[in-house]
Amino acid sequence: MLTVRKARKEMEPKQYLKLFLATRKPTGEDKQALLEEFCSQEQYLDAASRILALQDMLMKDFEKKNRIEDIRRQQVLIPNGTVGKPYEARLLPEQYGWQDMIAFRLEGVEITGLVYDPASGQLSGIPEQAGDHKLSLKYQLEGDGATGTWQERLLTLIINPDPRSLWKNRPSDKEDPYWKEDEITIAEKLGNKYLAVSSKRGRSHANTGGFRDDDFAFRYFSENGWSIVAVSDGAGSARFAREGARLACSAVVEFLGQQLMAGAFAEMDTLLTNAGAALDAEAQKKISHIVYHQLGGAAQHAFRQLEQLATTSGALLNDFHATLIFTLVKQYSQGYALLSFGVGDCPIALLYNDLQSVSLMNKMDVGEFGGGTRFITLPEIFQSDSFAGRFGFKWVPDFNYLFLMTDGVYDPKFEVEANLEKPERWQAFLADLKGNNAENTAVALKPGNADLPAQLSAWMDFWSPGNHDDRTLAILF
Amino acid sequence: MRRLPVYLVLDTSGSMVGEPIEAVKNGVQLMISSLRQNPQAIETAFISIITFDSMARQLVPLTELAAFQMTEIKASGTTALGDALKVLSRCIDTEVAKTTPEQKGDWKPMVFIMTDGIPTDNWEAGLAEYRQRKTALTVACAAGAKADTASLKKITDTVVQLDTTDAATISRFFTWVSASISATSTKIESSGKEVTGWEELPPPPAELNIVV
Repeated sequence: MLTVRKARKEMEPKQYLKLFLATRKPTGEDKQALLEEFCSQEQYLDAASRILALQDMLMKDFEKKNRIEDIRRQQVLIPNGTVGKPYEARLLPEQYGWQDMIAFRLEGVEITGLVYDPASGQLSGIPEQAGDHKLSLKYQLEGDGATGTWQERLLTLIINPDPRSLWKNRPSDKEDPYWKEDEITIAEKLGNKYLAVSSKRGRSHANTGGFRDDDFAFRYFSENGWSIVAVSDGAGSARFAREGARLACSAVVEFLGQQLMAGAFAEMDTLLTNAGAALDAEAQKKISHIVYHQLGGAAQHAFRQLEQLATTSGALLNDFHATLIFTLVKQYSQGYALLSFGVGDCPIALLYNDLQSVSLMNKMDVGEFGGGTRFITLPEIFQSDSFAGRFGFKWVPDFNYLFLMTDGVYDPKFEVEANLEKPERWQAFLADLKGNNAENTAVALKPGNADLPAQLSAWMDFWSPGNHDDRTLAILF
Repeated sequence: MRRLPVYLVLDTSGSMVGEPIEAVKNGVQLMISSLRQNPQAIETAFISIITFDSMARQLVPLTELAAFQMTEIKASGTTALGDALKVLSRCIDTEVAKTTPEQKGDWKPMVFIMTDGIPTDNWEAGLAEYRQRKTALTVACAAGAKADTASLKKITDTVVQLDTTDAATISRFFTWVSASISATSTKIESSGKEVTGWEELPPPPAELNIVV
């Protein structure tokens, strides 16, 4: 394009005249003198000069319009920003091959909360306003300087809302027959240990005014020295899961309380009172038997209670789908006995040996793909060969912490099941609880810490993208 | 974090020139703006655009919603649906993280395919490759009366047809895609399960005829 224009510019008026006439009225050899004379006359040369000038003007203007259109059509991607997050991008015409802009300025930046420095091309600051913002790049091409005209190219700058601001906190319906508090946090003495437990409605439920589907229950039986802690996670897809979770926890606590009173653990007491640091095979076998029958009985009792609730309420048993984990603890003179049962994807972990050892006390039901968990409401779990694998027993001189948690805590903090068996992950988890986290919220796990409920409650609000499920965490220490 | 991969496979053949292609571009843009308002979607949904005409290419790699930018698309050429399915299969292989004992992989991808014509290449070969990939849900959209619903039905059970390819109708389709992604990102968050069928998606609007 540029070379053609140059050629035309350089064309002499006389040359133009000759070419023009040759195309319009070819002249014979015999009239060359006439042509030569015509093309030398001042007035015609003058006319040719004016035509050339006009042509030049037309070309220039058309090329400029073309250029403006090309600039308008060119794809320009400016990195997106997010409200509240420091933003920095470089935005200069030459980046896009617009070296021919002789002047430019960027308008419309103010409303985004950013600042533009034309010298460096730096667009920076902390975005305040979310939206698809239209920025206007005003520029001048050659010739615009003289006339004072500015051309415009609109640019889109996308500012995302702060994800945290998008979550709503809608109250749950208190009139609902299965309503429960959105949060419960308790810290109290449990036997000769101390229990801190918190259960919180997740952001995904708060966003829609949904209920907390998690639940827990605990009790210390002073008559015989046993303690029990139960945690349950109601399935998100089941409409009364919140009640399923509540009932499953309370049913096992109630059932085992009765069994303890009825002396169902007397033989275990005898065995353990007389046992050494390690249990002999015979004692192991007897204990396993008791664990299987008593804890299995409790699980079955929970199932039957849920079945009955489904019948009386006219709902389906599936409507109450919930996972269930629980642990019984008792101190003997040589150490502690811990008995556990679990169905579903919530872990029970025992940290002992000065935080150097961890024992995962239940085999978690985790599917190959998300959602492969099992529930206490499924009759087949009791028939399955794997039922015997749902129990755990531990005999330790002492322990540091016993944790029971739902996937709302385990998913963001441990990610995969395999990590639950690594002591270093538990040490990191404890450090997190002590304040080594993005929010700097610390929980002092000390008996009698009056601020413990408030501290634990604050910690439970930790931010983890994509992890906004209900959270329940029970810590026995 | 487990991402929710979403692949939009869009026909950019010559017959899409003009209003339809502009409508597709605007539809994607509106969809992205709307998804950005959903707290679950903005954290979990990752979007990729694959376009196909005489051949297929991944126009936008799997990108988080917050960083997503729609690039220019132009319509020309034929309808290489088979190549699109091959490119899609390869993208799923390289971009979607699998679950291993050490890491939780991504959610299984959602795939939305839109075409207004009849495949002009050996699409069965592409389908054979695609069949080996694990996806949560594939929705095919036959845009306009000339689209070949029979071949789409072989790709997935979930086929919708648009009567026309005017801007309003195409826009309704993308509004529904947006609602479906929103619903899925909420569902995986609350239940830990993927969407696997129609019945779990928002009901399609009247402009979307379900092909049975």
